[in-house]
Amino acid sequence: MAYEPVLTRYVREPNSFTLEHYLQHQRGYEGLRTALGRAPGDIIEQVKASGLRGRGGAGFPTGLKWQFVLKDTPKPKYICCNADESEPGTFKDHVLMERNPHLLIEGCAIACYAIGAKVAYIYIRGEFYHVQQVLEAEIAKAYAAGYLGKNIFGSGFDCDVFVHRGAGAYEAGEETALIESLEGKRAQPRLKPPFPAVAGLYQCPTAVNNVETLCNVPPIVLNGAEWFAALGPEKNGGPKLYCVSGHVKRPGVYEATMHTTLRELIYDERFAGGMLDERPLKAIIPGGSSVPLLLPDELDTPASFDHVQKAGSLLGSAGMIVLNDTVCMVWLAQNLLHFYRHESCGKCTPCREGGDWLYKLLQRVESGEGREKDIDLLYGVASNITGKTLCAFGDAAATPVLTTIARFRAEFEAHVREGRCTIPAEWRARQPMLAGHH
Amino acid sequence: METVTLTIDGRPVTVDKGKTVLQAAIESGISVPYYCYHPGLGVDGSCRVCIVKIEKMPKLQTSCSTTCADGMVVTTRDEDVVKARAGIFEFLLVNHPLDCPVCDKGGECPLQDFSYAFGPAESRMDFPRRVFDGEGVKADVDFGPTLMLNRNRCILCTRCVRFMREVEGDAQIGIVDRGNGSEIATFREEGVHSLLSGNLMDVCPVGAITTRDYRFKSRPWDNPNVVDTICTRCSKGCSTSAWLKAKPEWARGSQLIRMTPRYNPAVNDYWMCDIGRFGYHWIEGEQRLRRPMVRRGSALESCAWHDVLPKVREQIQQAGTADPSSVRFLVSAHAATEELFVLRQTIDGLMGADARGSVSLTWARSEKTQPAGTRFVVPATDAPNVRGAHDLGFAVGAGHDGAPDLGALRAAVEGGRVRVLYVIDPGPDGSLGDVAWVAAARRAGTLPFLVVQGVVRHDLVEAADVVLPGATSTEKDALYTNDQGMVQPSSRAILPPGEAQEDWRILVSVARALGLSLSYDSSDAVRVALAAAMPGTAYAGAGAVTFSRPIPSRNWLQASNPSERWKWDFMFQDLPPVKGHSVQMEGVPVKDIIPLKPTQA
Amino acid sequence: MSFHPHMEYAPARFHKSERVLADDGETFAYTPERQQAFDEVVTRYPADRRKSAVLFALYLVQQQQGYVSGASMRFVASQIGCSTADVEDVATYYTMFYRHPVGTYVLNVCRTLSCALLGAERVVEQISAALGIKPGETDPSGMFTLIEVECLGACDRAPVVMVNDDWHERLAPEQVPAFLDGLRTRGAAALTGCHLHVEEK
Repeated sequence: MAYEPVLTRYVREPNSFTLEHYLQHQRGYEGLRTALGRAPGDIIEQVKASGLRGRGGAGFPTGLKWQFVLKDTPKPKYICCNADESEPGTFKDHVLMERNPHLLIEGCAIACYAIGAKVAYIYIRGEFYHVQQVLEAEIAKAYAAGYLGKNIFGSGFDCDVFVHRGAGAYEAGEETALIESLEGKRAQPRLKPPFPAVAGLYQCPTAVNNVETLCNVPPIVLNGAEWFAALGPEKNGGPKLYCVSGHVKRPGVYEATMHTTLRELIYDERFAGGMLDERPLKAIIPGGSSVPLLLPDELDTPASFDHVQKAGSLLGSAGMIVLNDTVCMVWLAQNLLHFYRHESCGKCTPCREGGDWLYKLLQRVESGEGREKDIDLLYGVASNITGKTLCAFGDAAATPVLTTIARFRAEFEAHVREGRCTIPAEWRARQPMLAGHH
Repeated sequence: METVTLTIDGRPVTVDKGKTVLQAAIESGISVPYYCYHPGLGVDGSCRVCIVKIEKMPKLQTSCSTTCADGMVVTTRDEDVVKARAGIFEFLLVNHPLDCPVCDKGGECPLQDFSYAFGPAESRMDFPRRVFDGEGVKADVDFGPTLMLNRNRCILCTRCVRFMREVEGDAQIGIVDRGNGSEIATFREEGVHSLLSGNLMDVCPVGAITTRDYRFKSRPWDNPNVVDTICTRCSKGCSTSAWLKAKPEWARGSQLIRMTPRYNPAVNDYWMCDIGRFGYHWIEGEQRLRRPMVRRGSALESCAWHDVLPKVREQIQQAGTADPSSVRFLVSAHAATEELFVLRQTIDGLMGADARGSVSLTWARSEKTQPAGTRFVVPATDAPNVRGAHDLGFAVGAGHDGAPDLGALRAAVEGGRVRVLYVIDPGPDGSLGDVAWVAAARRAGTLPFLVVQGVVRHDLVEAADVVLPGATSTEKDALYTNDQGMVQPSSRAILPPGEAQEDWRILVSVARALGLSLSYDSSDAVRVALAAAMPGTAYAGAGAVTFSRPIPSRNWLQASNPSERWKWDFMFQDLPPVKGHSVQMEGVPVKDIIPLKPTQA
Repeated sequence: MSFHPHMEYAPARFHKSERVLADDGETFAYTPERQQAFDEVVTRYPADRRKSAVLFALYLVQQQQGYVSGASMRFVASQIGCSTADVEDVATYYTMFYRHPVGTYVLNVCRTLSCALLGAERVVEQISAALGIKPGETDPSGMFTLIEVECLGACDRAPVVMVNDDWHERLAPEQVPAFLDGLRTRGAAALTGCHLHVEEK
């Protein structure tokens, strides 16, 4: 039986973003109405039972996250929606917010109700200004229609949803850095504990949830936990959005269950439709740039949190970057380390100093100036970052180096031996130094 | 207080509940390095060097941010920790210029010391270092009126940022840019303008922030001695340390080389203000009074103590015989409690306790410019012992504005009713407040005789008939009572210059010249008498107060500030001597320098 | 600027930092409409958390004068009720605030992996060659500023260029001259817009 998309079924229709469309086709705000008729604790239990796992990257059970939010406190509580989608290769929240914003708005309201919050802030990355405009216009309509604001559905429940615009910082996607940024500071991570559930935004109990995560909440409330759990492999239930980009015929966002294999996502006509120009697949980054590479012989792995992890990588944000045989792995590592060096917040030592060092080493090896010992040095420096940093960014930054050396060491050695890159590609810069400009 | 017991490196350690693993390690003398942690500031967790292994925790943890729990098992010397820590030190030094020989922090630098102890043998970094404002001396850039900043040395621990935010109250320091390009900065390079700016040098764990006052002046190993003093620049009474530079006898220049705060949770925590920190040069300045002087015509001429005392006696006796109320004392609240006590005894003995009103207490006042939210308030009263004078029974007249009320004395002086005015002023110039009217009265002829027992040659000295050179607070063992009523001992760091004498001694000499049988031969004896005279008060223990003598500075931090104890623990216990200590200790057996703890020996 | 009450200060006597500061610019104040917008947005946050509105306040500045000047940071500090250093600390952290005047069109070319795989490096080269500028620079006409940025979150439309707040997707290197001409003649109307809108067109 063909899978019927839940979150993105209508996104290609011209008016999919409107309140009318949402009400007409997606039982709009029925989930919220249903939720308000039940106890907040029941909603949390239902989300727990559904097994919904965070779609931002870590895959942490959403119901548990909500349950941890401190209850006995005079302080206000907050929902922060993480719409800072910045992980290279990831563009799913973008689609949801732009084409199905009411699903997110409803998800925010239900989440607020569940944890006892009255305010949700949607922290959207600054570059998504056009998305923000859609979102804010639709939020205004939701207020006008009584789905937000005071005494929603006469239940006595008040809920405000505000959009907060970031301004160019990948690190703001880390939940505590997002909170810092929302407080008007540098987007730098905080020490945990205390976790946001205890002391988050304004030191108040807070749940930070990804856009796609919150979008799954209204369908769970409407269709039940069992329905959701049954949609995928055990502990990997529900609809999942996959972002396929790179050297494929039809890059895009595809909704499927987590039974779907990596091979299907790349080659199946329902998804990316095969390799661009029929060139051979060299490797795939399955979960955004921060996760280890997988090789063609690992393509039959189902794209679930647990299966991908078992295969030695991570599903992360489900940002799949597909690489063909024209991709030099040293170049790839350099490209990504340029990203991580640029986006490092600079707070903690290993990431701040190590990221820059790795980039310089990669630049040297890629340009053919490297020495044999640089390869071990790269591996050593990256290993010294892993597990030593304040937030997960350090591990993410080290991963491209560790994974490319582990899997394609020969390419590094060839650069050193030949004194140049042996895999030139026509899509790369003609003058390598310009591409490395910073 | 509830406690928890954990195990660190196999040793059971019991600490107050709520303490972090790092604090527990520091308290029990276990070496864990740290940079972003500072006991007086919020936890940041950014430098990462304090990582330890804790059983049942999946990753290495920063000990500064992990709260101790009962039964916790912590390892600081395990191979994983040693390797990870060395890796972080390598990162810290990737861009740090190794200019220790010309860096002011050299010798008392946690980065230097910890790197020796915990860092890798050599760095694998072979790219040019990141340079912010130029190499070498060009990197030292303006950081406000008191400070210089060297960004190349900065390791971005953000202690300075947090100090300004959390303690000073005006967040003048931030970080600009991000990642590898992050720099400590003030808005548009305007610099730090704060009464507490000097503390930034203390909190900086490297030589990035230095004070203009101390930079290039000395080396830690040239300041072998340090004395526990109390700052006397205002009524707060901060605990401070006076650092003494060792110099050959023939060398010129001052001995006092810097003032730093000494941890005192009841008064000043880890901090002091810039007035106390930088305002010490006058003590060994050109204007100090070194010999007694008497007026001959229009000039003051030096003379001997045995010549000058009879003159004072003669004038006081003549005036006192004619009209006891024509002898008046104008006493600065910089006068120590011992001096005030001897003065009280003198007055009581000569004229009776009712005559204590002949003493007018005076002080200077200045409202300090500080942000509203500051956690370290510098009081407006610029004298250390107003409270002490009050406690001893002297009338402390103050107007609504908090300034001393000298109206009655002034009227008496200007009305010609005062024949002898005896001024006691062991404070810096200006500490008497506005007393221009005294000199004016002298010039106008309404004040026949003026004695100034002081330390600085200021306008009032110029108008005096007799000048008696006294001692500043750093030149005598003395008690001061701060605005909270705490009686605090300040120890003698240096000797009074020339023939100057400690003020209690001068007052005893004057009293004896006037026929009283005071027999004190030391300030200790004065305090014993003081204690006996004031039972049941805060002064009852004055006789037992001990004063520190100059102690070797290598022990000072350990003695006075447990949070900074690591410096000495590490340098002398963990290192083979060949690697070189920051403080020169060649040839001295470790056990002679510092007593080893039994478990570490 | 406060002055240290006890220390003589003659900054000219000391080395000055080489840090590149934002242009100080002219005295700044919001237009009445922007002031109103700020006053409204600030109410979205608790009353004692005005700092939360600092990014919004800086966006308003940039909208009004094209970049964030020293004077405008002082203004924002007064609006927020924080120190000027706090504003500079934030303004310099986020990449979307410019500290110097920029061209009419800021060409933010995504350079991260997915876009690079489909020719983003060459797009940068082509724009550089066409305008005679390097990334980070503004062309002599003052119309274009070229900036390389990291992942914009539209990897399925690679290579992506963000032009001011608008998007242009699937910009092949060969199309660069036409793309620049389009901007010159038709302005933002020449851009593809974003994402699924593309398919609708």
